Amino acid sequence: MKEPIPQMIIQARGLRKTFTTRSRKGAQTVEAVRGVDLDVAEGEIFGVLGPNGAGKTTTIRMLATLIVPDAGTATIAGHDLLREPAAVRRALGYVSQAGGVEDTTSARAQVLMAAKVHGLADPKRATAEVLARFELTELADRPARTLSGGQKQRVAVAIGLVHNPPLLFLDEPTTGLDPQNRANLWERIRQLRESGTGVLLSTHYLDEADALCDRLVIVDHGVIVAEGTPAELKREVSGDVISLRVDEPERAAATLKPLARETRLDDDLLRVYVDDGERTLPVLLRALQEQRLGLTSIALDRSTLDDVFLAKTGRTLRDAGAAA
Amino acid sequence: MIRHAALFTGYELRKSFSNPVWPLFGLIQPVLYLLMFAPLLKTMTPGGTTVDALRMFTPAAMLMIAVFGALFSGFGLIADLRNGSLERHAVSPAWRPAIVLGRVAKDMVMLVLQAVLVLVVAFAMGVRIGVVELVLMLLLMAATGLFASSLSQGLALTVRDENGMSQTLNMFTLPLMLLAGLLVPIAFAPSWMRFLAPANPLYHAVEAGRALFHGRPADPSVPIAFGVFVALAALTTMWSMRALRKIAG
Ligand SMILES: Nc1ncnc2c1ncn2[C@@H]1O[C@H](COP(=O)(O)OP(=O)(O)OP(=O)(O)O)[C@@H](O)[C@H]1O
Ligand SMILES: [Mg+2]
Repeated sequence: MKEPIPQMIIQARGLRKTFTTRSRKGAQTVEAVRGVDLDVAEGEIFGVLGPNGAGKTTTIRMLATLIVPDAGTATIAGHDLLREPAAVRRALGYVSQAGGVEDTTSARAQVLMAAKVHGLADPKRATAEVLARFELTELADRPARTLSGGQKQRVAVAIGLVHNPPLLFLDEPTTGLDPQNRANLWERIRQLRESGTGVLLSTHYLDEADALCDRLVIVDHGVIVAEGTPAELKREVSGDVISLRVDEPERAAATLKPLARETRLDDDLLRVYVDDGERTLPVLLRALQEQRLGLTSIALDRSTLDDVFLAKTGRTLRDAGAAA
Repeated sequence: MIRHAALFTGYELRKSFSNPVWPLFGLIQPVLYLLMFAPLLKTMTPGGTTVDALRMFTPAAMLMIAVFGALFSGFGLIADLRNGSLERHAVSPAWRPAIVLGRVAKDMVMLVLQAVLVLVVAFAMGVRIGVVELVLMLLLMAATGLFASSLSQGLALTVRDENGMSQTLNMFTLPLMLLAGLLVPIAFAPSWMRFLAPANPLYHAVEAGRALFHGRPADPSVPIAFGVFVALAALTTMWSMRALRKIAG
């Protein structure tokens, strides 16, 4: 390879995609992705966090050469997405939201097929290695339909990794998995860092983005609303968040406003964003007492990515998901 | 390209044979056709020997397998659309048409196996056919199967839903079957049916098949059938490969 090794494994500028669906009610257009820029460094675990319908899958499908963007450009592993899709595909592992595991045949057959399609010198060995790495050797010869959800998801990732791609796309890899299987898969995704495999991971779980990603973007309605490391994003919103349930939330909010960087009222839940929760808490309680405001409950938390999402979009991730 | 097509063919074949029950059913079905239908037809054919009935029915049975076996193979593709494996292959470096061609080629291999089985049974029951006729018959069956299989893959990729797919197939199959004279030669049919039959491509194949089994390879129905099916198969194969582009940009 004479080409200079690019620092960025993904560089995307202004990606857009609008879908038109025809139904009985007439044509309907959905602007799924409305100008997305991404810079993902080699070997980095990069998150795309957003609620249902935010455009995560559409973005990944564009970058994986499955759909052609309406506008925008991207370079992946040094190759132009639109002009050299074949070269892009060689550099990719792709695990779709559906998983891509066939029920009717064994994990080994499917991994082996992927190895052969990628033209590996020794597909049998590569298959055995990746199966062992994902602790699938014992299960590899059963029809995949007999595997549990977590095992199947491991097969899906193993298929995507058999050719050791420099970049792996994981579209909501842990959706539908129980906590134990999630933690197990997280551990394996973290290990990819050591092998230098870059990961673009979409998720609507805050804790997942927080726990796994070196950097992330938060997307909502097809646009990026925030970008940075999990720590940066959380710091940007505020250090800590104090959540209160009080009798007169409006009056309480007005009372506490001068003490906080920001206050936010969600039904009867009042969130107060402060720099230093431990010190502010007593001050805040005193203020409430002086105003004779009854307090039902109070909690002090470090701000989470949900607070970031709330700050950027005015909705919590959970509400956004339910509305979509 | 060829390598990928071969890879996918092998993969699909192995998939079919990894669960030996289904292909076995597929193989036995045509034999059952022969064993059950031939005696029935015997009473209806002028002349009335079993061999006469078989000469009528064996080519029809072979073409029936080719069309109706392959027409349903698209359901597998819909399953793979749903589970995401098709999409995964589309992101791989595989030559994309190979993904569809592999399935079509698998269907052809299965068809040939079934055809051989039918021929062996027919032979055992007393039917004799010349080598030229035999080769032509197998080729005709292959062209028919290619048409039906790629039509099915194209439909699957366009309809993308099991329900819609079976509705569409049902709509096609009944007129296709009745107007081809598969079970009963169209010569026995009322005149309006005889008038409509030539519009059914399968009719020409059945006529050609019967001519071959009666030892008339030069019959005009033979080149007509080949012309029709080679053209149709080319069209549907192109169509199915194009339909794949829709799921994969
Ligand atoms: N093929 C399509 N045709 C029409 N609309 C589509 C199509 N694919 C996606 N959309 C729409 O585009 C929007 C973004 O969808 P997308 O699948 O990218 O969301 P997502 O962020 O992956 O959501 P989820 O978390 O539910 O997977 C949605 O409103 C969706 O309905
Ligand atoms: Mg999605």
